[in-house]
Amino acid sequence: MSLDPFKQSEPLTLGVELELQLVSLSDFDLTASSPDLLYLLGLKEFPGEVTPEITESMIEICTGVHTEHSGLLLQLQQIRDALVQAGDTLNVGVCGGGTHPFQSWSEQKIFSKQRFKQVSALYGYLAKQFTIFGQHVHVGCTSGDDALFLLHSLSRYVPQFIALAASSPFVQGRDTLFNSARLNSVFAFPLSGRAPFILSWDEFENDYFAKMEHTGIVKSMKDFYWDIRPKPEFGTIELRVCDTPLTVERAAALACYLQALCSYLLERRESSPTEDDYLVYNYNRFQACRFGLDGTLVHPKTYETLSLREDILTTLRKVDTHAEKLGGLAALEYLYRSVHLGSDAHYLRSQYADTGSSEGVVDAAIRRFRTGSEDGP
Amino acid sequence: MQEFALLASDLAWPFAIAVAWLAGEFGHRVTGLPRISIYGLIGFLFANLQGGILPVVDNNIMLLANVAFGLILFEFGYRINLHWLRTNPWIAVTGLLESVVTFIVVYFVAQAFGASMITCLLLSSLSMATSPAGVLRVINEQRSSGQVTERILHLCALNCVLSVFAFKVVVGLWLFQSSGSLWQAASSSLIQLFASAAVGALFGMMVPGILRWLGSLARDATVAFALAVILLVTLTHILNLSPVLAALTFGLMARHRRVSLSQAQRNFGALGDLLTVLLFVVATSTLEWDSVVKGAGLGLALVGARLLTKTLCVTATSQLSGITWRKGALAGLGLAPVSVFVILMVEQTRYLGLILVDELTALAAMILVLEVLGPILTQYALVWAKESQHTIEG
Repeated sequence: MSLDPFKQSEPLTLGVELELQLVSLSDFDLTASSPDLLYLLGLKEFPGEVTPEITESMIEICTGVHTEHSGLLLQLQQIRDALVQAGDTLNVGVCGGGTHPFQSWSEQKIFSKQRFKQVSALYGYLAKQFTIFGQHVHVGCTSGDDALFLLHSLSRYVPQFIALAASSPFVQGRDTLFNSARLNSVFAFPLSGRAPFILSWDEFENDYFAKMEHTGIVKSMKDFYWDIRPKPEFGTIELRVCDTPLTVERAAALACYLQALCSYLLERRESSPTEDDYLVYNYNRFQACRFGLDGTLVHPKTYETLSLREDILTTLRKVDTHAEKLGGLAALEYLYRSVHLGSDAHYLRSQYADTGSSEGVVDAAIRRFRTGSEDGP
Repeated sequence: MQEFALLASDLAWPFAIAVAWLAGEFGHRVTGLPRISIYGLIGFLFANLQGGILPVVDNNIMLLANVAFGLILFEFGYRINLHWLRTNPWIAVTGLLESVVTFIVVYFVAQAFGASMITCLLLSSLSMATSPAGVLRVINEQRSSGQVTERILHLCALNCVLSVFAFKVVVGLWLFQSSGSLWQAASSSLIQLFASAAVGALFGMMVPGILRWLGSLARDATVAFALAVILLVTLTHILNLSPVLAALTFGLMARHRRVSLSQAQRNFGALGDLLTVLLFVVATSTLEWDSVVKGAGLGLALVGARLLTKTLCVTATSQLSGITWRKGALAGLGLAPVSVFVILMVEQTRYLGLILVDELTALAAMILVLEVLGPILTQYALVWAKESQHTIEG
């Protein structure tokens, strides 16, 4: 099976996927409830798409294709409300967060579907450790070449998205000291990391992908766990580094920030991406995972040291005319505020300090998802 | 020779428990049946083979069994979310429906067998309850999660509370009939119920408070809760209150004040496992072969009627409460276990001079059948609902 031709799609259109946690409201541990929840959701019209994920304590929701912030946010809120309502009927809490703070991976059940079983057989404990929850944002591109140009131009901004979305400080009951511990689990997979530096779709398809397919290592784009990957059948690139935020409001804001940033990059006023940009890539990514907004970056072109927080604020200012044109100013304001208030990881740590238990952290995450309020319950 | 007899009698309990554990491990591995079913069987065999190898259950052993049950009930209370009954009222309706209908059906079945009214009432009230120890041990053993699991837990909690309540009212009624003293009747029923719940609630507020004050919740919670349960059970035992209700309230209260046992401490770890063996061996060792045989007819009829009623009632409301017919039926089936709870309830009334086991031979037969069969049915309900770990990966 060769690669699909890159489908042309409306530039800068958006689609969001969120992997969400299913938690028992009795003991706040993950609960294998996706079959029950999907049954109940199936009885009514659902304002989006909902699908099972690899473990039964996880579901994935997808929005339709959107052009601006208000529409995307509205749909995400409708999806959230439908999920919360169904969850209440089943004593299941639905929440964001990149990891569950105290679940033990050996307890997770693999959803019985052929592909999931194969993945589980291949990756062993990695598959279960993969009980992690991410946000994926699709951005429409007019051509494969545009997609690859955006993919590599965005690499310099990947740490910003990691830090803004970071919501996974706890793993198996311990504070990891990371803001996004989730990404450490992703990096364990052999085909994770960055895409190869190729800017022409023709070359990517006929040279790189064809060769990889010939090696027998991959069968489709799905086998790559890259931070950003092209999705030819949708005509999009997909940013995959974000933890699922605690609220759909933040998820919508992140998506629209990406949209404005892509619009800015497509003006091609910044110097073109080069292979050498990736010299600092893993280091910067680590800084963002470990320290979040307090991290420091090395600029890929100038090698100067930057505060990640400052870098975000600068970029927000740089893209705000684009956001205005795209109807996404509210998203930028949201992120501007949250850069000052702190990330979701910061909030979860504060909840641990207040309640003194991992269960208290999950409870706070459930309430925050439900209300969407950043002021905290 | 007499010394040897004394020695043998001292050894009997530890020996029986060790054999039960060994049989449980071995039997579980070979047949896949729940360990507690096997413990119960061994307890009954040891007590009844050749006129009984085990000495009579004394007060100390009974207290230990109560502590074991208290630990299970505390954890059980911990897994109940009372708020769910408000967000999905159909759970409460189902619980009420299946308990009340079970009461009525059992009453008429017992009456058809010619039992006296008070016997009918006692049988009815006790048949309402599902054994929390039975379902929780099976759920933990299967590491199951999903709607059938969740509903078995919540419906079990509801029918236990209703059963304790009904049982105490019936006992009060009986006392009033025989003694004519309203005070004695009320104090041994309703007042006792409220006092038990109040003591449990007090513990539920104090212990998390102390733990929070100490600061190191994650590390110390298990030992602290275990000690508190032991203290609570002993206290209620001495005060002739209901340890069952007190421990359950304690767990509920502690949970809603959100201090939690972590995954590794489920079942109270090794301590819980040890006491569970003792609990199930002791429970069935109180049953006598003669009673079982004498009450077999009515006992088996009650088992059938109870199982059918519970399954039908829970199935009836399944669609309304948000699950499939199939899962509803399986949740109803999973409510089968009865044993330990009823035995301890009945034992508790001995101090009143009511030797109910002798009255209720049918109960002995029902307990024995469901002691072994109940957990197996719960296990199959979870497996058929694809909620147990073993079904997917086994």
